[in-house]
Amino acid sequence: MIDMALRTELKNGLIKQELCGGGWGYGLTVRQAALEPTCLSLLALRWDSSPARARGVKFLLGMQNPNGSWPAFSSDDSDGSGLTALAVTALINNGEMALQTEHGLEWLLRSKGRESHWLWRWKFETTDTHVRFDPAKFGWPWQPGTCSWVIPTALSMIALKQAFVCCKPDWVSFRIRRGTEMLLDRACPGGGWNAGNGVVYGVPLAPHLDATAIALLALGGEQRNDAIASALKWLWRTAATCSAPWSLGWSILALDAYGLPVGSLVDRLCALKDQGLLEDSATLAAVILAIDCLVQGNVFKVGS
Amino acid sequence: MTRRSLLAGSAGLAVGAATAAPFFLPKYDRDRRPARSRVAIVRADEYSDWLEGALISALRLFDLDVSGKSVLLKPNLVDFAPGVAVNTHPHLVSAAAECFRRLGARSVTVAEGAGHQRDTQLVLHETGFRDELVKHQIPFVDLNRDELVKVRLRANYTGLGHLWLPRTVLSHDFIVSMPKVKTHHWSGVTLSMKNMFGVVPGAKYGWPKNILHWSGIQQSILDICATLPIHFVIADAIVAMEGNGPLAGTSRPLRSIVLSDDPVAADAICARLMGFKPERIPHICEAAKFLGNASTELIDQLSGLVSRPDIPFKVVPEFEYLRTT
Repeated sequence: MIDMALRTELKNGLIKQELCGGGWGYGLTVRQAALEPTCLSLLALRWDSSPARARGVKFLLGMQNPNGSWPAFSSDDSDGSGLTALAVTALINNGEMALQTEHGLEWLLRSKGRESHWLWRWKFETTDTHVRFDPAKFGWPWQPGTCSWVIPTALSMIALKQAFVCCKPDWVSFRIRRGTEMLLDRACPGGGWNAGNGVVYGVPLAPHLDATAIALLALGGEQRNDAIASALKWLWRTAATCSAPWSLGWSILALDAYGLPVGSLVDRLCALKDQGLLEDSATLAAVILAIDCLVQGNVFKVGS
Repeated sequence: MTRRSLLAGSAGLAVGAATAAPFFLPKYDRDRRPARSRVAIVRADEYSDWLEGALISALRLFDLDVSGKSVLLKPNLVDFAPGVAVNTHPHLVSAAAECFRRLGARSVTVAEGAGHQRDTQLVLHETGFRDELVKHQIPFVDLNRDELVKVRLRANYTGLGHLWLPRTVLSHDFIVSMPKVKTHHWSGVTLSMKNMFGVVPGAKYGWPKNILHWSGIQQSILDICATLPIHFVIADAIVAMEGNGPLAGTSRPLRSIVLSDDPVAADAICARLMGFKPERIPHICEAAKFLGNASTELIDQLSGLVSRPDIPFKVVPEFEYLRTT
């Protein structure tokens, strides 16, 4: 049973953390708006009628770079952040399927991991082989000019799947397919996902809760396979003892998207409120989104 | 000479000059090496309450002027791996915080931007850091999510020109790098200078900070350390890591804490304690040209002895040449 008073209290807390100049920063003392907390806050407030939501959307649109991407924070360089996909998702879910959102999607479709270039692919296939991965399977980087990593790839796939629900142009389908292949290729041998690769110098890496959860959300609607099954199993087992709200929030969203019961996890997440762990706006917004998936639906749930 | 050959010759010269210029341009703005550097090695068998007493005695040997200053402790907090010495031990960090308070620091803050794990609260909880910070009432700042300031780099090994760095780090008077002494499969070792990768914010550069890998790890270490001076080093070598570090190596007790007022000297001494030749580690070797002293002739040993281990630390095959035997 969701504590509706708590939910309201958390939302009001998030609204209070809106910065004077617009948007949301990470911490309570940080006066600089950043992309991730702003987008997660807008997603958490998407059904809210408060003026903060409208101001936030306007602020987000104003942040966009001329090339269609979004910066990681206000005053950042204009080369584009790997979290641009989160801005697109936030705008779509706030009913802003405008020209600027389309520009964002166009940038996302142009952005790709550096290993997608034949020269680097050749390097990773021939000389630089300590990290086990197939460079032909690429996704999205954190920053232009770097390799693909799990979280920007997964968030980009979610944005594309939400933007093109019924009919996908060939290039969109291709990027989603490549992204799916990349995620499956980089999975940890024991299930789940680390930041990027699953094996380095022959040693399997341990999965991370948030990366695993976001990757699973991106793979929603894809054909079930062993990688998805073992990731779900690991996430279910590990989330049960997690006491960090950011990771627990994302875990709930992923488990819920796959139809698993998350009521007891949500109860535990609510109980963390009193431990002073929700001061960070991005974490607070992720917690609200996790609680809300039982009330208003799962904002990150996608089809194929 | 025809006009065509003149043009072709000029173009060739221009291309040649543009290609060669990076090799001749100065890589750093000025030589900031101290005349002499000081190092102390404290023997410590385990992480216990005894650490604070040993640490304060060693710190007093340096006669540090931290009175009224804001001190920032930068541990190495990467990820949680049960049973493996991945992170600077929380007991050592809290002991250092108490020591700087006793030496008159106006404030002591612990700050880190973990390189792999995005959930800092999870790492703090699982490593025991959260309990230790609460117990000693030490504030913690997640540098991955801090306010950022554009800073021009004061060396040019990467060609990046600038980095966005956390305001918290820039606003503190006295920065203490507190590395875990480990081998590293990309850079050979990770010591006090490599530890400064943690100040580069994930919110801008991602997890991991892949731009630094593409720009060259050794080069990035030099650019960051030239830009953000490390005022003091307290290196955790009580239980170090060998083999496939920084995450998947094996624990190796060295039973030592290395303190120094010069990060280059600290890293050179730590490398020797690991059984490596510091002059073979590119970033230590290059830093010794402008940031600090790596030569034992320029390092005053205030306490303890540098004893090479009978068996050097294990490394991945690419760094086998670092080992002295």
